This record gives sequence, C-alpha cells and structure tokens, in this order.
Amino acid sequence: MNTAGKALAEFIAEGTEIVESLSKDLLVLDQQRGLEPDPELINGIFRAAHSLKGLAALFGQERIAKLAHQSEDLLDRLRLGKLSLDDQVLDTLIESLDALQSLLAEASREEASDALGERVSTLGTRLADLGTVSAASDEDPLDRLELSEQVRAVFTEYEEHRLRENVRRGVALYRVRAAFDLSDFDTGLTELNARLKPLGEVVSTLPSSEPGGLSGIAFDLIFGARVSTEELTQKLEGTPAQLFALVTRPAAAPVTPRAPAAPPVPPAEAGSTPVRKTAKRKPRTPKAPAPQTPPDEPLAAASSTMPTLRALEAVSSGEASSSSPVRTLVQESPTPRGTRSEGESARSLTQTVRVDIRRLDALMNTVGELLLIKANLQRMVENVRLDAGVSLSKVWGQELSRETRQLERKLDALQEGLLEARMVPVGQVFDRLARLVRRIAREVGKEIDFIIGGGDVELDKLIVEELSDPLMHIIRNAIDHGAESPEARQAVGKPRRARISLHAEQKGNHVVIEVSDDGAGIDELGVRELALRKGLITDAQAREMSRRELLNLIFLPGFSTASSVSELSGRGVGLDVVKNNIGNLSGIIDVWSERGQGTAFHLTLPVTLAIIRALVVGVSGRTYAVPLNSVLEILSVKPSEIRTVERREVLDVRGTTLPLMRLARVFGHPESHPERHFVVVAGLAQERLGIAVDELQGQQDIVVKSLGGRLQGVRGISGAADLANRRTVLVLDVGALLEEGMSTERRRA
Amino acid sequence: MPSLSALLDDFFYRPDEDVGPIQEVVAGTDESIEPAAEEVPEEYLAFRLEGEIYAVPIHGVREIVKVPPLTEVPRAASNLLGVMYLRGEVLPVYDIKVKLRLADKAPLVAGPEAPPPPRGARIIVVQTADGLAGIWVDAVSEVVRLRPSMLELAPPGVGGGERDCVVGLGRRKQELFILLDIWQALS
Repeated sequence: MNTAGKALAEFIAEGTEIVESLSKDLLVLDQQRGLEPDPELINGIFRAAHSLKGLAALFGQERIAKLAHQSEDLLDRLRLGKLSLDDQVLDTLIESLDALQSLLAEASREEASDALGERVSTLGTRLADLGTVSAASDEDPLDRLELSEQVRAVFTEYEEHRLRENVRRGVALYRVRAAFDLSDFDTGLTELNARLKPLGEVVSTLPSSEPGGLSGIAFDLIFGARVSTEELTQKLEGTPAQLFALVTRPAAAPVTPRAPAAPPVPPAEAGSTPVRKTAKRKPRTPKAPAPQTPPDEPLAAASSTMPTLRALEAVSSGEASSSSPVRTLVQESPTPRGTRSEGESARSLTQTVRVDIRRLDALMNTVGELLLIKANLQRMVENVRLDAGVSLSKVWGQELSRETRQLERKLDALQEGLLEARMVPVGQVFDRLARLVRRIAREVGKEIDFIIGGGDVELDKLIVEELSDPLMHIIRNAIDHGAESPEARQAVGKPRRARISLHAEQKGNHVVIEVSDDGAGIDELGVRELALRKGLITDAQAREMSRRELLNLIFLPGFSTASSVSELSGRGVGLDVVKNNIGNLSGIIDVWSERGQGTAFHLTLPVTLAIIRALVVGVSGRTYAVPLNSVLEILSVKPSEIRTVERREVLDVRGTTLPLMRLARVFGHPESHPERHFVVVAGLAQERLGIAVDELQGQQDIVVKSLGGRLQGVRGISGAADLANRRTVLVLDVGALLEEGMSTERRRA
Repeated sequence: MPSLSALLDDFFYRPDEDVGPIQEVVAGTDESIEPAAEEVPEEYLAFRLEGEIYAVPIHGVREIVKVPPLTEVPRAASNLLGVMYLRGEVLPVYDIKVKLRLADKAPLVAGPEAPPPPRGARIIVVQTADGLAGIWVDAVSEVVRLRPSMLELAPPGVGGGERDCVVGLGRRKQELFILLDIWQALS
C-alpha cells in the first residue's frame, strides 16, 4: 500500500471508530427520549464530533470535517443549554451521523458523489438553523448561589451552565474540599471523583486557595449531589474530603447582580491541552499540572490535610472563594475550552490497538505451519521409538519428545493469543443495527422497542463482519412483516409498541444469536400454499411436513413472499441468501414462529473460524476432516444394526431414531463393505445426523482454508486443510450435510 | 552453524540499502529496448499436452510446480482434477485436455485409485479472477521467445467454436506452438 493509501486507511479506521462511539451514545440519548439528557453523554458526543472534525481536517477530508464541525456547533449549544434536546434536534443529529458514515464510506472508495454532497449541505443548513430556543430567563439562577465572584470568574461557560442547571433544579450543592500530597494527588483526586461520580455531578474542580500542607495541594470540587447529606457524608468516609454546603437563596430574591460571563479560556489552558486528551477516557488525572499550585501557607497545613470528614458547615461566599486563576484539569470535568482550538485531536480516542485482519491472517498462517512442524516432530518421535533398539537413540527420542512438548505448549499459547486478538464483541454489529431499526421504524411508521442483549459476547472478527448483512435482513423482515402497525396491535390487545429483540449468548463452542419479535408471526399454511404454488414441494411432501419443516421452507431459494415484498425487505435478497451467508460461516439458522405471538430466528455460529479441532476420518481410502465442535459422539455400528424407515437408513440410538448418511455414497466414492461402520453423530442447533465413515484417524488442529471462489459452490465441503503428512484434506461442512440429510428425508418422505 | 534467519537476511531489502545502481540498470534496459519496440520478442512457456505443444505468455504464469498429491473434490465440476496446497493456500487444479478435445474425459489423477503422476507432469499455476489456479500439463518443454512476426492467427476450424481458447499459432522454423488463452481454457 502506498503512503497515501495507508494514511487514508488509517483515517477511515479511526473515523469509523469515532462514528461508532458517536452512534452508541446517540442511541442511548434516543432511548432516553423525553428524559433529562445526561450531560456526560452530550459531552461525550460533543467530544467525539470534535475529534472527528480534527481528524478529518488533518487528513484533508473537507466534507467530513465540515459536517462534523456543524454537528459540533450544534452539540456545543446543546451542551451549554442554549438549545434543548427535542426530537427534531436528535433526529438531525442521527441523520448527520448517517451522513458521516456515508461520507466515510465514500472516502474509503476515494469518491465524492454529488448526491451525498447535497445531502450533507442540506443537513449542514439544518444543523445551523436548529434552535435559537431555550429562552434565557430574566433571572439568572446562578445569582442565587452563594459563590464569590472570583470563583465564578474561573468557571468555564460550560461549568457555569451546569451549575446554573443544578441551582435551577434545586439540587443540593456542595463544595468538597480535599487536600492531597503533591506526589500522588492525581490518584487521590481520581479516587475521590470515582466516589463522587455515582452520587451526583462534579460540576467543577478548582485548586483551592487554601494551602494543602507542606507538599500538598488542595482542591475545591463543586458538587451537585443526588443523595442526602447523610449518605454523602457516609460515602466520603475515609477520604480527605471535607464537605461544605453551598447556600442557595430562594428564587426571586436576587442579591448580587449577575456577573459578566466569565471568559472561557483561562491562561493555564494552552500548556495542559495535550494532557487532557488522555484524561478524557481514562479515569485518571494527568500529572502535568501538579506544581502549578504550590502551598502558600504551610503553617495551616495540618488542619486541612487531616483525613477527617468535618461536619457540614455552611460557608459564606467569602470563604468559598478561590483566588487562584490556575486550573487543574481533572478527568471527568468536561471542559469546553480546548475544544475551540483547531486540529488538536488527531489522537486516538481509544486504547485499543487496531490490527489489520490480513496481518492476523498472515500470523495465523504461520501458526498453521508451526503446527505442521509440530506434527512432523511427533511423527519422528514415533518412528524412533518404534525402530530403534539402540539406547542412544532412546535418549535422543526422549529429548526430542521433550522438545516437542515444549513446542506444543508455546504453540498453544500463540494460538490462543491470536484467536483472542481476532475476537471482537458482537455489540459492534448490534449498535449499527440499532440505528437501522430506528430509521426503518420511522420510515414505515411503526413503533418499535429494539432490545439488545449479550453485545459483549465475542466472536471472530470475520464472523462479526459477515453477520451484519444477514442480521440486517432478518431485522428488516421483522420490522416490515413481523411487527404490526400500532393500531393493529392495539386491536388485538398487544401493547402499541412492538418489541424486536436481538440477543447473543455463548453456548460452549458456539454463539447463538436470536432475533425475535412479538409481531404477527409466520403463517405456515400460507408458506405451504406458496411453496406448492411455486413448485418447491409436492403435494405429497406438503402433507408429510411438520410445522417446523413448513416454516423452514422460507429459506428455500426462490421462496420470496412476493405478496409482501416491500421497498424495504424486498430487495431481491431472500432468506436463502441469509441462510447461505450463515452457512458460509459454518453456522446454521433456524426459525420458530407462532401465529399472533411472533417470530424468532436462531443463528448458531462457531466462535472462530480460524483454527479448529477436527476429527480426521477415512472413507473409501479418502481422508476428510469433521470439525469437532459439531461432533456429538461417535458410534461403532454393525451393518446389521442399520435399519431402514421408508427406504431411508436410520440408526436406533438409545431409543431415538437417527438419520444416517453414508459419506461414501453421498460423495460418489466406491463403497466398501466393512464389518463395522463408524458413525459420527453430528449436530448443530437441534438437528442430528449420523455420518457413516470407514475409519477414524484421530484428532488434529487444523487451519481451514477456503476453497476459493471457483470451488465455493461445492456442497458439503467447507474448505481444505493441510495435514502434517503433506496431504490436503477436505473439511466437511456439517451444516450443509445436515441440511442435505434433512432434505433427503423430505424428498423420500 | 549460522542461524537460518541470518542466512535468509541477505535476501531481504533493507531500507538503508543503496539501490541506486540497480535502478540505473533497470532504467538503462528500458531505454535500449524502446527503439525496436515492434519486434520485441515475447517469452512464452511451451508445454506438452497429449503430444501437442502449447504455449502461453510467460507473464501470466506464476510458477511451475511438480505434481503434489492431489485431493479429489467430490461433486465438483468434471474439469477439476483436485485441490493442492501451495504455501498455505488451497488451489484447484484443472484439466484442459477435454476442453481442447485432446481427451474424452479428465484423467484420474487424485484419490487413492489414481496412479502416481508421470515423471514429467507439472502443474502450471496461473492467477485468475477467482484467485490462483493450477493447470495440469504432461510436461514443460521450454521458454520460447517469439517475435510478433512469428505469430499467425489460428487457421479457420482451429480457432473458432469449441476451441476458442486457441488464439493463434507461433512458428519457429519447423516448430509449431499452439498459443493458448489460458483463462478461456479454464472457463
């Protein structure tokens, strides 16, 4: 990749990350519609927009920078309370987010379409026009607060706004004074903040004018408490914090005239800017500004460093004052100041290292090769042990065997590490889908609660990426066909809002993702009707089919519920494609539905595709590998034990009938007639199938390689792997074989 | 014994390496060739299929490998002989004899019933739109340099119809090379 391409890729990666975090926060806001928005959340979104702006400007992505800037402006007004968060504002923000995502996508293709350009400029205008709302009341609630002018002078515009909000809502305000030793004040302060955080809002953190001891520093935290004084006192037990209540005069009794707005940029700002970047995410305080407030009055130190919690005492405005113009930047205290300076935030917002999946793939290959070496070594050991009668060779063999074990341990660790590096939470996809749901629901005028669960379940990155399209499709279907209109729901006694839930859960080596809705459900008789009409099944088959089998017809190619094709879900992609996509991931999809109750799709997926443990089996002199995670058990069966039910071979396994498939027959290999068969019982989701093979050759870790574009259509084979003896073996696609076994059942029935 | 990595190290390009002379040489060759552009000979890889000699432009050939044990793929297209591993990649190996009407059916070369491959047999690896693919040839004969004046269109009856993968003939004195569009042959 050339330098420019690399830079672009970097920008796209980072930009996407920011947009994703934006999206996450916006979603929360969306869910809390109508509630008082969490100021921290708005701040987070504001910061993300700002970061994106800086980043885009740095990489010369004008369009993104401009839109991000416009969004940032709006968010800034929101943050400062100059604008209230109504539906219109929120919608515009979400639309901007979508536009930003489209812009990123175009940038990655190095395009700049006019259509999108127009959309962006319209959005820009809307962003700018929104809200000259939030009428400033004639009386400033802040004036009711007993706080000295000096203190007020150092507040940033944002802090002032937050304080005003707190006063207006009648929140009990406190000045929390705490002194720390200079050497570790950052940890102390962080700890204090962490304690205060759940109890209320830390509006501002100011270095105290009071000295903090010989080598100490004291801080005044302006704190709006959500809990009672008693609880606050109790929670602060053991910290060097002292509590002073800030007196708020009753409304309509302004005493002090409103102070002129404080200049938002204190002088100390410039130097500490780079530090704050790290402070934004990490809950720790930067060390840099420490020496800025040396204690002036060492003599008074003893009292203020005392780690006791003094009872509350109301303080007059004079006492509360802080004359120090120097401000220390503390973790969560959201400061709008630096945000005005351009281009400062090209630094990453996250502490995760992004790794190009191709690099991981290369590493994976290396591990694969190492595994081969290991197996070769093992074979050598075996040979020596068998052949040599000489004692010297025995020693050599032992040594070699020890080395092999060592190698094996190292390899295990390496493999595990690599697999972990590939794992990402499925939540990444879920969040993106949540936004989609929101948009679609608005478009079709349905009221939908979208519930996400298990977003922290981890899957191979590749699988997560590949999941997004199938999931999107299923969810579109759920919104479009599943969920009824609010009126229709009310008519049948359901709540107006439909529920669509997306839930992931780890079950052993598999992850099960469930997409369910409480909508109208699938009419299996309608499905049967349609399948008959389209000639997908015969009358005889239809009569034999169970409800579940009927439902599963919706996955057949050519089955599109044409009667309900809409602009949204009828995009020429049927559920058969979804099924194929899932199949390509060695997964299986299943549907459950109850008329009037809803529909649920279950996607069962392997946790990783990269290295799997496989059972190596022999059939007619050929070797195949069966992924062990789909092997339930292995049976040894005499030919006489195989029965036929309606000319279909089955086995009786502990009282249940197991369909049997002879691999040699299915694959067209010459069939041998051994005295006993080995039957590999394979299962995915609730499907079971016995696969008859001639011999078992053991277990092995294999790196499964795709057969490539030209061979992808081969049914029953998911890929190939290299065994240690330079033999390439094919890996069975258990999902596809199960499917085939079932359809054989259907055909013969 | 020096470690393997130390030995290999010499093969790798280091950023501080002075490659100026090499670039000059490369630039020099370009210039010297340019005047005679019309008669630039192109290199072809000639190989044998059932006694006939075929040739493909060598720039399309990634590498030539001895026939490894091939693994048959059940239910695949009839021209697929099997798959093989090549440095961590799985690639399909195809027969083109049937396509060229040199044989009625693809030979059995993979699986336990297959005889060991003939000594001269090779797999020619080419890059296709769907990734790497291998082509079975009975033997690789040589690399021939053919100038444009040595090429002729395939005579009628040879180039058209089923054998549209034959794009022309190359003649060097008495030798005849059948020029193949290898991608067409694989389709």
